[in-house]
Amino acid sequence: MSELRLSRRSALAGAAALGAGVLARPAIVRAAPKEIVHWSWLAASDGEVWQKCIDAFNAAHTDVQIRMELVPEEQYTTKVLAAAATGRAPDFGWGTAGVRAKMAKDGVVVPLDDLAKAVGLDIADFDPFSIKAARYPKYGNGLFLVPMDLMSLQPEVNTDHVKEAGLDPDKFPADGAGLLDWAKAMTKSEGGKVTRSGIMMTGSGVQPTVTWGIVSAQMGFMRASDDFKTAAVNPKAGIAAMEWVLALFDTHKVSTRDVTDRYKAFGNGQGSIFWTGPWTLNGYVAQKLPFKTNLFPQIGSKRVTYFEEGGLELYQQKDKGRYEATMTAVKWLSDNSKLWTTVGRGASPRKSILSLPDYKTAGNDWSVRGAFVDGMAFATEGEIPVLAGPDFTIYSGGNFLAKTLETVWAGKAKPEEAMAQITEKWQKGLDAG
Amino acid sequence: MANDEQTAAAETSAVAFVGRSKIDWTGYAFVAAFAVPFLLFNVAPVLFGIYVGFTDWAIIGEPNWIGLDNYREALHDTWFKQAFVNVLLYALLVVPGVVVLGLSFALFVNRSWPLSGLARTILFTPNVVSATVIGLVWVWVLDTQFGLLNHYLGWFGIGPIPWLTSANWSLIGVSIASIWWDLGLGFVLFLAALQDVPKDLYEAASIDGAGFIRQQFAITLPHIRPTISMVVTLQIISTMRIFSQVYVMTNGGPAGSSASVIFTIYQSAIVRNMLGYASACSVLLFLAVLAVTLLQRLVLREVAHA
Repeated sequence: MSELRLSRRSALAGAAALGAGVLARPAIVRAAPKEIVHWSWLAASDGEVWQKCIDAFNAAHTDVQIRMELVPEEQYTTKVLAAAATGRAPDFGWGTAGVRAKMAKDGVVVPLDDLAKAVGLDIADFDPFSIKAARYPKYGNGLFLVPMDLMSLQPEVNTDHVKEAGLDPDKFPADGAGLLDWAKAMTKSEGGKVTRSGIMMTGSGVQPTVTWGIVSAQMGFMRASDDFKTAAVNPKAGIAAMEWVLALFDTHKVSTRDVTDRYKAFGNGQGSIFWTGPWTLNGYVAQKLPFKTNLFPQIGSKRVTYFEEGGLELYQQKDKGRYEATMTAVKWLSDNSKLWTTVGRGASPRKSILSLPDYKTAGNDWSVRGAFVDGMAFATEGEIPVLAGPDFTIYSGGNFLAKTLETVWAGKAKPEEAMAQITEKWQKGLDAG
Repeated sequence: MANDEQTAAAETSAVAFVGRSKIDWTGYAFVAAFAVPFLLFNVAPVLFGIYVGFTDWAIIGEPNWIGLDNYREALHDTWFKQAFVNVLLYALLVVPGVVVLGLSFALFVNRSWPLSGLARTILFTPNVVSATVIGLVWVWVLDTQFGLLNHYLGWFGIGPIPWLTSANWSLIGVSIASIWWDLGLGFVLFLAALQDVPKDLYEAASIDGAGFIRQQFAITLPHIRPTISMVVTLQIISTMRIFSQVYVMTNGGPAGSSASVIFTIYQSAIVRNMLGYASACSVLLFLAVLAVTLLQRLVLREVAHA
C-alpha cells in the first residue's frame, strides 16, 4: 500500500499555487448592463409598493433587469460614498432633493440633463417646482434627481376624537387660533398631566423640530436668504416660533413631551391632530384608524408647510456606458409611476399622471390622501441645497438643528440662546459653500 | 585537542546553517493564519483610523492633512463634551449596579436556596438577547404613560416618571436597561469565583462563630477580589462604549442628555460622513478608557495591598 506523504515544501508550494490561481482569476469586465443595481431605503409599506414597481419593470423587460437591494436609510449616504470610492456604486438609488450638494460637488451623483434628453424623458411634463428642487444652483445647476413623488406635511385628525369633542370633521380650522381651539377641545388631562394630546408632539426629535420649521417659516423666518449668503433671516420670527411650540406644552397644555413613538401614539389614539407625511397612510388605513387629512392651517402671516421630494439619482460608474441603460430604466419607472404616486407615497410630479381621470380614485380614499396632493400648492419649505444642507434640514431628529432646539424644549436654553447658536453655525455652513 | 576540533566543527556547522538560510517556515505559516487577518483587519484599521484623525477625509477624495484640528474641534464641541460626561455618569450608575446586583444574585444562587437553579437561567438570559431587543422592550417598560414600571410605581403613589422623555431622567432610564442587560455576565463570573472558594473556610468560620454577613466580608470578598476587579474593568470598558441602548431607546436625547461618546462618533461618521472628526473622537475615547482602566486597576491594587 502506497503512503501519501506531503512534505512541508510541497504543502506550501501547493498553497502558494492555489493562492496565485485565485489572485490570477481574470477580472470581471462590466459590459453594458444586463442587470442594473438599485439601492433603496424604503422599508415600510411604501417599500412593498416600490417593490411592485420594480417587479413591473422586470416583467416588462427581458433584456435588462433591475436588482434592488435594501440599505438602511441612516447609513445610505455613507454606503453609497464607500461604494463609489471603491468603484462599485449601485447604478441608481433613492434620493431626497436638496440634501446631496456634497455628492454633487464630488461627482458621486451624476448630472442628468443630457441623459434625460438622450433617453427622451419629458422634463416639460414635470412640475417646474419639482425640477427646480432637484438642481443645485451652487454646483452648475444641473439636474441631479428624477423627481418621483412630492410630499408635504399635513395634519391627520382622529375623527372619533373630533366627534367626541362635538366638532365638525369637515370644518378643520384654517388658522392658528382655530387650531388651538380644536386642540384644547380634544386634549385630555389627568392631574394636570396631558394624557391625550390635542396636537401630537414629542419632547425631542423630529416632531417639534419640523413644527418649529413650518411655523417659523409662516412667521417670516428664513433659514437662508435666497442667494444662500445670509443665514437665519428675521431671527425674531424664529424665536417667536420656538415660543409657539413651547406654549403647546406649557401654556396651552395641548401636547405632552412624554410620547416616545409619535407614529404608534397617533395610531393608538394618544393624539388627535398629527402633522405628518403621506408615508403614514397605508399603515393607518390598514389598522382602520378613523382619520381624515386636512390642509396645514395658517399660523403666521403666510401659509407654508414642509416639502420633501423623493426621486431617483444615478451614481458615478467606471463604465460610462451603463448610464444610458440606467436612465432608460429610470425613465420607465417615472413614466409608470401612477401606482407609486397613488398607493405608494406622495403626489405625482408628472402633469400627465395628475391629470389621469382616475388619479383621485386610485389608491387610498381622497379624504385621507387628498390634502397631501392639494397641499403641495403651499408646500415650499424644503431643503437648503448647500454643502451644509443636512444641518439646515427641519425634518430631522438628530441633526444640529434638532439637537439645538431640543435644549429649548427641555428648558435648558432660552430661545434667544438657541437662535444665536443656530445663526452662527448656519452662517459658517453657508460661508463654506 | 579533540574538544577543540569538536568546537570548531560545531561553529562551522552553525555558520553553514545560517549561510544556507535554513529557516523553518512552518511555524511562521501557522502563526500567519492568525497574524495576517489580525494585522489586516484589526491593527491596520486602527492605525488607519489614527491617521484619518489628522485629516478631513469624508470617504470620497484624498485625505487632507489638517494636523490637530479635529482634536481641537472635538475638545470645543459642546455635544462631544456632554457625551463624555454622560458616559462617566453611565459608568457611575451601571458599574456599581452590575457589581452589587451580580454579586448578590451570585451569592443567592451559590447557596443553592430554593429556585436558585431557575434564577441562574433567568438572570443570564438577558445577556444573550441583542441590545436592540432589550432596548425595544425597555422603551415599553419605561413608557411614561403606559409603561409597566410606572404602573407598579403608581401603587406606591410614585410617578409617573418620564424615564426616557425628560432630560433629567433619560440617562437613568437607559442605565436601568443596561444594568438588566449586563447583569448576566457579571453574575456568571461571580458565581464561578464563588464556587472556587474552599468550603472548609466557611465551616471553620462557622465553628468560630462567624455569621453569614461576617463570612462574606472575611472570606468571600477577599477570595473573589480578582474577579471583582475583572468585572469592574470589563464593565467600565463596556459602559464607556455604550451605544445600542442609547440608539434604540432615546436617540441620544432629549437635548443630548443620554448621548454617549460612541453614539456621537456614529452620528459624525455614519450620518454626517465626517470620518476624520469621528476618528479623532475615537482616539480620545480610547485614551479615556485606557486612563480610567489603569486608574481603576491601580486603586484596586492599592486597596488589596492595604
